[in-house]
Amino acid sequence: MNTDTKDNVCDEEVYSTLFRANSKTVFNYIYYKYGNEEKAYDAVQEAFARLWENCAKVTPAKAKAYVYTIANNLYLNVLKAEKVRLKYADRVTTTNHETPEYVMEENEFKLKLDNALQALPENQRTTFLLNRIDGKKYAEIAEMEGVSIKAIEKRMHLALKSLREQIDGI
Amino acid sequence: MQENYLAKWLNNELTEEELAVFKKSDEYASYQRILEASKTMEGPDFDVEDALQAIKNKRILQEPKVVQLKPFRRFLKVAAAVTIIMVGSYFYLNTLNENITTQFAENKEVILPDSSEIIMNADSKIAYSKKKWDTERNVSLNGEAFFKVAKGERFTVTTDHGTVAVLGTQFNVEGREGFFEVTCFEGLVSVSYKGSETKLPAGTSFMVVEGEIVPAEEPKNLNPSWMDNESTFKSIPLKYVLDEFQRQHNVKVKTQNIDLGKLFTGTFSNTNTDLALQSISVPSRIKFKLEGNKVLFYAESAP
Repeated sequence: MNTDTKDNVCDEEVYSTLFRANSKTVFNYIYYKYGNEEKAYDAVQEAFARLWENCAKVTPAKAKAYVYTIANNLYLNVLKAEKVRLKYADRVTTTNHETPEYVMEENEFKLKLDNALQALPENQRTTFLLNRIDGKKYAEIAEMEGVSIKAIEKRMHLALKSLREQIDGI
Repeated sequence: MQENYLAKWLNNELTEEELAVFKKSDEYASYQRILEASKTMEGPDFDVEDALQAIKNKRILQEPKVVQLKPFRRFLKVAAAVTIIMVGSYFYLNTLNENITTQFAENKEVILPDSSEIIMNADSKIAYSKKKWDTERNVSLNGEAFFKVAKGERFTVTTDHGTVAVLGTQFNVEGREGFFEVTCFEGLVSVSYKGSETKLPAGTSFMVVEGEIVPAEEPKNLNPSWMDNESTFKSIPLKYVLDEFQRQHNVKVKTQNIDLGKLFTGTFSNTNTDLALQSISVPSRIKFKLEGNKVLFYAESAP
């Protein structure tokens, strides 16, 4: 085991950097899939613990894909999806020109959007949220999910379409 | 519109024409609104530093478990060493010779691996190798013993004086200091003494006293007399008679003014000390004084 080179995952610093860069996304990824915060947290712990155990075999370049794969496989066919609860930041409500009616309408819209998100198939919801909340590029999501970029584009397109249809009540 | 145009639109990959058409569509406002709303969404709280600390702590907790295995490994090392020593010493001890000794006034019967029998007289010692017995039937003797040899390969008895070799027979060997006697009771015994070999047919004896071959009396019985708890002598210097008496009765013998070279013919009991003393002293015309386990022989004429 070689620990003194900087491009080795066994190096404490390299490992910490990898953790800081990717743990939040792993957490969200699992959460978007199953709506279970506790399990998402466990997935992060498990995936990164395994990364440490195999730090000699996994290069830093492949570490990201490695942790996603482990987190993804962890609950595959085991966990039933629960309701995904999302918070809305206070940004919109702080703008000054809103009337009570506007706030009410806005809240109503968010409720609709919430429900529409719940109704989405798991893979569409995950793709949509990873892109919207975590700002992940289609290519990155494709890598995480292990599918082509085109498939992600399709999911994204269908997700948006379904959301609008749900909200507009079509 | 191209395939998955909504996804393309999010990525700003629509052509200007397409975008213009899309913007005019009824749904555009709704999509725009969905994007606006989703911009403010957040997942559950996740503290990266907390999680990192947690995983490092867990690692520290797990590491001592690995350390705990080490004493066990050390135990294994010790166990392995002990096993090697035990197995080694077992094989080593196995190669060592079997040693059997008799004390004064003690007879012992020994069965050899091929069911040959050895009956040992008092103060005698035999040794043989159990491991090599199949290839080499050899017993080394110091003292006196009677052999009943099972039929088979050459059987040898080694003494300080000479070697006795047989195939399957019954014979008595006595090899003590200054005294070597072989008596054959059955079969044929070959005695090699100082390089010369003597064949002893059944019922003959070969005797060496003080380094000189002496003609020996033919044995009358089927067994040596000591096996019937008697010691028989025919023209044997008194010294050896008294030595034998000392061995059979575990009594310390002292002499005073006695000619130990005087020849003795007779028999004494190996069980009754008083009787044996009479048997020795009367024909030799000497006197004795018994005190505990010490006996003094002295000349009759002595004051």
